[in-house]
Amino acid sequence: MNQTVLRDLAGAAGPAPAPADAVLEIEDLRTEFRTAAGTIRAVDGVSYTVRRGETLCVVGESGCGKSVTALSVLRLITSPPGRIAGGRICFEGRDLLALSEPEMERIRGNEISMIFQEPMTSLNPLYTIGRQVSEAIALHQGLSRRDAMAKAVAMLRRVSIPDAESRAASYPHQLSGGMRQRVMIAMALSCNPKVLIADEPTTALDVTIQAQILALIREQQKTLGTAVVLITHDMGVVAETADRVVVMYAGRKVEEANVADLFEHPAHPYTRGLLGSIPDIEGAARGGARRPRLTEIKGMVPSLTRLPPGCSFAPRCGFATTACHAAPPPLAEHRPGHWAACWHAERVLAGAVAA
Amino acid sequence: MTPLVEVRDLQKHFPVQRGLFGGTTGQVHAVDGISFQIAAGETLGLVGESGCGKSTAGRTLLRLLQPSRGEIRFRGDDITNLDSTAMLPYRRSMQMIQQDPYASLNPRMTAGEIVEEPLVIHRMGERAERRDRVAQLFERVGLRPEQRHAYPHEFSGGQRQRIGIARALALSPALIVCDEPVSALDVSIQAQIINLLTDLQEEYGLSYLFVAHDLAVVEHISHRVAVMYLGRIVELTDRTSLFETPLHPYTEALLSAVPIAKVTARRRQRVILSGDVPSPINRPSGCHFHTRCPYAHGRCRTEEPALRMVRDGHLVACHLHDGCASLPLAQPH
Repeated sequence: MNQTVLRDLAGAAGPAPAPADAVLEIEDLRTEFRTAAGTIRAVDGVSYTVRRGETLCVVGESGCGKSVTALSVLRLITSPPGRIAGGRICFEGRDLLALSEPEMERIRGNEISMIFQEPMTSLNPLYTIGRQVSEAIALHQGLSRRDAMAKAVAMLRRVSIPDAESRAASYPHQLSGGMRQRVMIAMALSCNPKVLIADEPTTALDVTIQAQILALIREQQKTLGTAVVLITHDMGVVAETADRVVVMYAGRKVEEANVADLFEHPAHPYTRGLLGSIPDIEGAARGGARRPRLTEIKGMVPSLTRLPPGCSFAPRCGFATTACHAAPPPLAEHRPGHWAACWHAERVLAGAVAA
Repeated sequence: MTPLVEVRDLQKHFPVQRGLFGGTTGQVHAVDGISFQIAAGETLGLVGESGCGKSTAGRTLLRLLQPSRGEIRFRGDDITNLDSTAMLPYRRSMQMIQQDPYASLNPRMTAGEIVEEPLVIHRMGERAERRDRVAQLFERVGLRPEQRHAYPHEFSGGQRQRIGIARALALSPALIVCDEPVSALDVSIQAQIINLLTDLQEEYGLSYLFVAHDLAVVEHISHRVAVMYLGRIVELTDRTSLFETPLHPYTEALLSAVPIAKVTARRRQRVILSGDVPSPINRPSGCHFHTRCPYAHGRCRTEEPALRMVRDGHLVACHLHDGCASLPLAQPH
C-alpha cells in the first residue's frame, strides 16, 4: 500500500490545493540574506496553509528559518540585507507581497498579529501598558482615546491581568515576564485578528507561567476563532497545542502532518531523531535506576552558506544513501495529509531502523 | 560512609541597596537554609523556576560565593571558611560547567589553552604532559585534536559546551556543578551533551550537582532530585518517587505544567498555578508557596513547614504531610 504521490520537484509544490477555510497560504516562499560569506537562503521554497481556528505549529532548531518565514509574512524583513526573493503569501485571497506599504500597515497588527519571545524588547519602556495597548486599538479601529483606553482595559482583563484598571497605568518594567507576555497577547488580540503568529511566546518563561500563557492563547482562539501559527523548538509544546505541524530544517519544510501522525509515525528521519532526543518524563517514573540513552542526532546543523548538494540532512542521517547526497528529495504526500521530503520516508514510516 | 559533599543549613543573602549612597534596605534571601548530601558517583538534580536560588546554591557550594550561614563539608572536611590558599586543593576536586558556553570561554584563548589552563594554574605536569592530557581530553569529549588551535567563536554551541566539559575534567575532579549545561543548546545537541555527561560519570565515578529548570532533563540524568522554591528545598527524594508520587503541591504543579512530547498526554488533568512567583525580597509569611497553593489552609499562612522525612528517603516541607506519612494530596478546596 504505497500512497505516495510524487509532486513537482524543487520543493516548489505545496500540499494539496488550499481548503476553502484557509486564511493564510504561504507558497514557495524564498527569503534571502546577503552576507559577507555570500547569499544565504534562510527560507528556501517553504509552503504552508493555516485554516480558520486551527493551530499550526512550526518546529525546528535555531537557524532553520521558522522565524524568518513568519517575519516574511508580515513583511518585516529588513532590506538590505534581507529580501523576499520569490513565492506568494496569500491572506484571504490577497497577495501580501503585492500590497503597498500603507495597505500592509492596515493588515499588520490588525488582521495578522504577532507576538515575540521576549516581551520586554517588544514593549516601549517609556509608556504605560494601557497606553501601548490602546494605541493599537485607536490606530486600527478609529476609536477615540478614551474609548480605546476602555477597550484596552477590557482586553487586559480578558487576558487575566489582575486589577486591570490600575495595572494599565504600570510601565513594562513593573510587570513580571508572564504579565508582560499577557500584555503582548492583549495587544495582539485587541483588533480581533484572523491570524496570530506567536514566535516562541513562552521560551523565556518558567514552566508554570508557560502553562498559563498557552492556556490563555487556546482560550482566546476558541472564543475568537483565530488561526494560530505557533513557532517553537519545544516538541512538548507542539504535542500539547498543535492541530497540524510543519517541521523545518535548514530553510526547508521537511515534514508536515497532523499532530497525532507526526508524533506516532514520523516520516522524516530528522523528525524521528528530534523526538528520540527528548528525555521522556512520563516513562521516567516507570523506569528503573538506569535510563536508556537518548537518541542523538550526530553532528550539527549545517551552515546555510555551505549546504550539501543533496538533502541538507543527509550528512547527519542514518538512512542516507548515495541518492540522498545527489539530489534533494521532493516533498511528497506519503499518507493522506502527511508530507515528507525524504527519499526513504516509506522505510521510516514502516518503522525501519537506521543503519 | 561519609558523603562526598554535605551541605547543612546553607544560606546566602544579598543586600538590597537603594539610591546612590543608600544604605541596605533589605535582603534577598536567595538561598535560605538548604541541606543536602551528594554521594560519590551520584547526581543530585536541583530544579526550580527562575529566581528560586538554585544557581546561587551551586555557586555557594563551590565557594564562588561566600555563604552567609551554614556549613559545607567536602569528604568530611569543613571548607566553609577556608581562605583561598587552603581552598586550592579542594578546588581541584570541585569543578563547574556553565550554562552559556559563549560567555564562559575566553575569546582570546584557543580551545587548547582553555582546557590546559586549570593544569597550569594547579602546576600539574610538564608542558609535554599537559599537551598530551589536553589531546586526550579533546578526544574524550568528542572534539578533534587539531581543533585545539581554534578559537571559541569558530565552534558551534554544542562544541563549545564540550570545551567547557573538557576544561572541567582536566583536573580529574570528584564533583562537577553543572549549571543549566544544556539549556542554551538545540534539542538534538542537548541529547549529545546529556549522553556525554552520563558516560563520563560512569567512567570516572563523578558526582554531579545538576542545576536546571527543565524537569525532563533533570529527571533523565539525576539519581535524586531536590525541588527549590524561593530559596528553600520543598521536596527531596529519589527520581522515581518524585515523578511517580510527588508530595509537595508545588512539585505536583511543576510536573503537570511540563509539556509532554506525546499526543497521548493531551488529555491528562493539569494543575495550572495562578499568579507569579513572589519576590525573594518580600516573601510570603509561613509557607512561601501558600499564595499559589491550591491546598493552602490557615496554618500555611502563619507557620513555616520544616523539611521532614515522610517516607523512606522522601523529604517534603508541607503541612499536608505533617504527622501522617502516607497522606495523599488533599482535594483542592
